[in-house]
Amino acid sequence: MNISQRQFRAKRVYEVTPRDGRRELRLSDRIVELGEQEFDWYQKVRSWLPSVRGLADLSHDLAMDEGKVPKFLDALENSGLLYRTDAAQQPMSGIEFHQKFSAVLGSWLSEAFEHPFWERMMSGKGSARLFTGWLIELYHYTKNANRHMPLSCAHSHEKPIKQLRAKHYAEEWNHYHYFMKSLKALGFTEPQIADSVPLPMTLALSNFMRQAARQDILAYSICSAVLEGTTTDRGTYSPYYQRSADLYGVPQEAVTPIFAHLDLDVKYQHSDLFKDILETVPVMSPERASLVLDYGHQLVEHIWLWTDNIEKYYQVESNMVPRRPFDVVLD
Amino acid sequence: MSAQPSHVASSAPSSGGERPFLKRTVIVSHQPGRVVLQRFSEEIELEGAAAQLFSKMEGQLDGKSSIEDIGARLQEKPARLRALLGQLAKAGVVSLLSPADDSTLTTGMEFYAIHKERCLYWLEEVYRHPLWQKMVSGTASRAQVLGFAFEKYHYIEAAFEHMGIAAANASPEMMPHLARHFIEEYTHGDIYRRGLRSLFPDDVILHSQPLPSTRALVNYLNESAQRGSFAYYAGNELLQMTENTGDADAGKSVDDFYAAMRKHYPYTDKLIDSFIAHTKADQALGHADAFLLMCQSVPPLTRREVNDALNVAKNMAEHLLLFMDGIDTFYGRFGTVPRLPCDLKSE
Repeated sequence: MNISQRQFRAKRVYEVTPRDGRRELRLSDRIVELGEQEFDWYQKVRSWLPSVRGLADLSHDLAMDEGKVPKFLDALENSGLLYRTDAAQQPMSGIEFHQKFSAVLGSWLSEAFEHPFWERMMSGKGSARLFTGWLIELYHYTKNANRHMPLSCAHSHEKPIKQLRAKHYAEEWNHYHYFMKSLKALGFTEPQIADSVPLPMTLALSNFMRQAARQDILAYSICSAVLEGTTTDRGTYSPYYQRSADLYGVPQEAVTPIFAHLDLDVKYQHSDLFKDILETVPVMSPERASLVLDYGHQLVEHIWLWTDNIEKYYQVESNMVPRRPFDVVLD
Repeated sequence: MSAQPSHVASSAPSSGGERPFLKRTVIVSHQPGRVVLQRFSEEIELEGAAAQLFSKMEGQLDGKSSIEDIGARLQEKPARLRALLGQLAKAGVVSLLSPADDSTLTTGMEFYAIHKERCLYWLEEVYRHPLWQKMVSGTASRAQVLGFAFEKYHYIEAAFEHMGIAAANASPEMMPHLARHFIEEYTHGDIYRRGLRSLFPDDVILHSQPLPSTRALVNYLNESAQRGSFAYYAGNELLQMTENTGDADAGKSVDDFYAAMRKHYPYTDKLIDSFIAHTKADQALGHADAFLLMCQSVPPLTRREVNDALNVAKNMAEHLLLFMDGIDTFYGRFGTVPRLPCDLKSE
């Protein structure tokens, strides 16, 4: 059988858990169990797939007869770990795309929030300083909505989508006041916060949203939907804020505005916005659907690195809080 | 010591109500009989009477009171205070604030000197990033090493984006410089791609996806390029300062780095060839002088313009650090390289 690595790609594995001498690989729709040797082979296949190495090289790496390798690849495909890239893909409606998105959103969010920062904060190994840093960056991120939401309206071409995006902007544009209120309760003055400089990854989030807005309104909208997905479930985030308040002596007045903001997002039903937008899209080519999906996942990775950037900066006691801009006369 | 805009560098402050301000970047340490003032990479030591007088007035150097008022408060002769403050201002650790600050203009060449000094300091943290040591000592993983090559490729390839945007939005005096830079640089991504092709098929390289941290650096360049030509290039120059290894010492460290890479990671041989080819291409173009030429031709800058350009440069250093950190952290944790974009079946 004539086989080449270009026929296959690996599906995304969200988590690998060792269990009783085996490995559990979590995909978005199933868990695949592999023995240690099969797992080792699978990893070798994964690095071989995007390489310039031939089938003979893979056969050597696997210590497997070359004739048996295609069968092994088929087995990996049947298990769901690989998929064929040569099968034709069909166009889909906006609603069908939304179903696809909804099916992976849970896995994406677990990926975005699997950063050790969260466990650290919830287990009491964090600090009030880290909580404050997170809040300052949330302030900037929310204020920076004014850098990307109106841009998305400007780059929308269909009237119904323009309308929906504009309404979202009108409802969201001044939500940074909630975080300002929280930060004032922590003892900061308004100018200290308003004039401060966000971390590079905080700025990167809004710059990435601007990139998406310029490229494709659906690419922008999926990013927005991922972000809304992080706040719509009050049950997910309330414990973080409340527990941090309890553990690190954060005054209740600093937490109340955050809950008010979360409740407002739920009230506006922003989590339904992406579906409302997609209902107006009769057809998406496979290429466009892939691009849009990819933007959504890139946003997930942005959230992970954003969290990392916040933890690394604010855990250093000597780093300035809040971060002020450089001034040639004063600095 | 540091170049300062003309009004700050003045060594003989007038008595026109100047308000002394201890710069926020100064770290003061008090030791018996002496005071050390550290700012960026410089240290100034005061001893004896000067140390005593500084300690006495330190709490007053908040830019709110004139020298005369401070003198009256501390029961010191203003002339004595002024003499010491003049020296400290000359050394760059104190500013003598005046209402004229906002209207003072800085020439392009004054800016060039300030920019160079600050950027060298801001880059120190980038050079100290642990990823360099990991790669030199052979403890970096295969994913981190290949990830480094891919992310460098993405960053260099992004010249199409930010240099294109910069040239398209250039101010009249900056246009020739930005046009020239784009035309000289847009092929450089291909130099890195040639190296990567020793390990990966061309279409995989072309479709591979940068890390969010690399995207952050590129997008910051794009946004700066759209907003203002001079500030953009002040930021870009900081990045260029890490590439142009014209001097012998820097050149030797780069050579040592590549030699260590070849030794520990023999599969990177062709990649290292491409890194070196790119450095040589940059050196041959004389990019080291490009910013100097721009500064010579730019009209005098207001304090706001100076701050804008320096803040872009400082943010660029932070984005560069993030670029390094993203490679170290992300590829250290998620070992998939190259990173391919999602499609309808991959999820």
